[in-house]
Amino acid sequence: MRKNFARLAMFAMAFMLVLSACGGAPTTAPAAEEPAAEAPAAEQPSQEETLKACFIYVGPIGDIGWTNAHDVGRRYVDDKYDWLETAYAESVPEADSERFIDRFVVEEKCHVVFTTSFGFMDATLAAAQKYPDNYFFHVSGYKRAPNMGTVMADFYQLYYLNGLMAGALTKSGKVGYVAAHPIPELVRHIDAFALGVREANPEATVEVNWIFAWYDPAKAREAAEALIANGVDVLAFTEDTATVVQVAEEYTAKGQPVYSFGHYSPMAQFGPNSLVSGQLVDWGILYEDILTKIHLGVYTTKNLETVDYWGLLSGGMNLGAPVSVHLGGDFDTPINPAFESQLKAVKINDPILGEISIYDLIFKRIEQMKDPAVLFDPFTGPINDQSGALKIQPGQRLTVFELNTIDWFVEGVIGKAKP
Amino acid sequence: MKLPRIRFEKRLTSPRWLPVASLAGGLALAMLTIAIIFAVLGVNPLVAFQRIFQGGFGSAYGLQETITKTIPLILAGVGLTLAFKGRMYNIGAEGQLLIGAIFATGIARAFPDWPSFLLIPALFIVGFLGGALWAAIPAVLKTRFRVDEVLTSLMLVYVANEAVKFLVYGPWRGSDTRGFPITDEFSAAAQIPSIKSTRIHYPTLIVAILLAILVYLLLTRTKLGYEIRVTGENPDASRYAGMDYQKIALLVMIISGGLAGLAGMGEVAGIHFRLRPPEAISPGYGFTAIIVAWLARLNPLAAILTSFLLGGLLVGGDAIQIALNLPAATVQIFNGVILLFVIASELFNQYKLRLEV
Repeated sequence: MRKNFARLAMFAMAFMLVLSACGGAPTTAPAAEEPAAEAPAAEQPSQEETLKACFIYVGPIGDIGWTNAHDVGRRYVDDKYDWLETAYAESVPEADSERFIDRFVVEEKCHVVFTTSFGFMDATLAAAQKYPDNYFFHVSGYKRAPNMGTVMADFYQLYYLNGLMAGALTKSGKVGYVAAHPIPELVRHIDAFALGVREANPEATVEVNWIFAWYDPAKAREAAEALIANGVDVLAFTEDTATVVQVAEEYTAKGQPVYSFGHYSPMAQFGPNSLVSGQLVDWGILYEDILTKIHLGVYTTKNLETVDYWGLLSGGMNLGAPVSVHLGGDFDTPINPAFESQLKAVKINDPILGEISIYDLIFKRIEQMKDPAVLFDPFTGPINDQSGALKIQPGQRLTVFELNTIDWFVEGVIGKAKP
Repeated sequence: MKLPRIRFEKRLTSPRWLPVASLAGGLALAMLTIAIIFAVLGVNPLVAFQRIFQGGFGSAYGLQETITKTIPLILAGVGLTLAFKGRMYNIGAEGQLLIGAIFATGIARAFPDWPSFLLIPALFIVGFLGGALWAAIPAVLKTRFRVDEVLTSLMLVYVANEAVKFLVYGPWRGSDTRGFPITDEFSAAAQIPSIKSTRIHYPTLIVAILLAILVYLLLTRTKLGYEIRVTGENPDASRYAGMDYQKIALLVMIISGGLAGLAGMGEVAGIHFRLRPPEAISPGYGFTAIIVAWLARLNPLAAILTSFLLGGLLVGGDAIQIALNLPAATVQIFNGVILLFVIASELFNQYKLRLEV
């Protein structure tokens, strides 16, 4: 009898796995605050004019990171334009994405579909070919079609600026990085961050800990604590939760200061005493740009093959595209004022700018990266790889293609770019 | 004062109508529970149920997608009916599925130029072999060292997961994928054809149904099948009767693992045409298959039906997120409640409830 119950318990365990496996990523905060606002019945669209845009998210909209930032962007455009109607599906498993796109197009009559994870790329392209009269935009990929464009707001410049601050603030000379998946986007960000760290502190190292998950607070915490145990006192990260910021704040509150940088969404609230700055994105204005251009007929289902938004501080690759990336742990606060005096106290000798404090250097670099006449780029040679071999010749820069396919770490990074 | 005690008594015989009645009762209670949840969320439960049914079974599109999801569920589920009949509690079909996908990808990468009449049968064979091999590990551990196969087969799922990740992030990462963790696309010859404008890779579907029939015949019409059933119902009796327990245990595990491997092969060669990270290959088909087998009361032919039913529920559950704009967690609750009640109802097939005052 007892043995049978043990069996039953085993099965129950397996079923729990099924549940978590069926639903994709776990949800911490279901979007209860956003009930039927978008339900078709709630608004009365004036038939011909209405454009319906639908969003497919990889994580839960309550993730405080990537998916949340996209959803904030969706709500921004939805509120702003009467001719626009939106819908979304969250926590969509990559294996099932094709079906979600199909349903949005066929049953929900979406004109435009945004898919917001690199894992959705093939499914989006397949749908673009299947539905030539619909518009598709894939975020973070590289495949395009006459009716499918690509969108990305890239953070490598901001990571470089965060790196400058991290290099100036570390006392142990060890900086840590909690990283989701070893793909070019992350390698690029880690490299840019390390370039900044080493510019401020040429002896410092950046240790990388891969967690192989976009959304896994438990793994992120484990990775952050392991880095701290290794002597790291500043943490940056690329994954979709605020865990690293929370861990840094906990250590700081306990009397062992660990500083961090927010990622994707405003995270200052989670680390008032430890969050220095961060990377923020405003997807709303990118979505607004795309959707108004579709509405006005600038974009058609025939001319998206060359539409590639690659949002940078200068507005990015698409001429005239709005600036979608911002420095800070909160909008309008590029640097936490608590760290201002420390950053002003650290000075370096720049070959061109002369002696300059890190604080001033940051704002100088922002200016240089925004100015089309200067366009300072952190990936300008001479740059060595991890083994010390010269990888980028003096004066040379990486092309956009090279940045998009980068698979090697710069000198000073500890860890493997291809684990 | 003594409170009445509830006692479960094992049934010696059970009426024929009982399984159907307990299943219906379980489903009814599940629906009631879910209706309450929907009502709390402010959605009319009847509208929600109607959309789920329509999403899974009630439209041509929903039906196509349900059938697409049914294919891996039949393969893995039928294998599990056999394993459970032989009292080998293989919880690791998900891992066997992934190893099948790896083996198939290996062949597709190694021989892209073979004509498809050679390559596709080869994919089926190695897909089976991969899953069989993975299932043989817990089987050998069980028969040689008496290690509980529930634990080992489950743990091997995680190993298989890591193996897929290692390959797509490492040596098999594609050359034209710009560093993304996916292999290059299979050559056209290695792509299992689908019914036009659907994702139903029909050769796999046909093989799945044929195998379900074969496993049914094996169980009911052969000496080996008889031995499997006796071993499952009473291992001691089978030993006294001189049946080779080790052989039977190994065999049912190999077949069930092989079928799960075929399911994984079908996903990579019939749907994705490349190896991708594990969560992008299978949203848990190997685990859902456990319920497929149990719901079918370990009858391989009934597993075809229960695969279709569960496939439809999963597809329909997804549909309500889109149609009613409900949070994804609602869908997870929906799936979870149904499965929980259906499994719980199984208890009443085997036990009688008695109140003792």
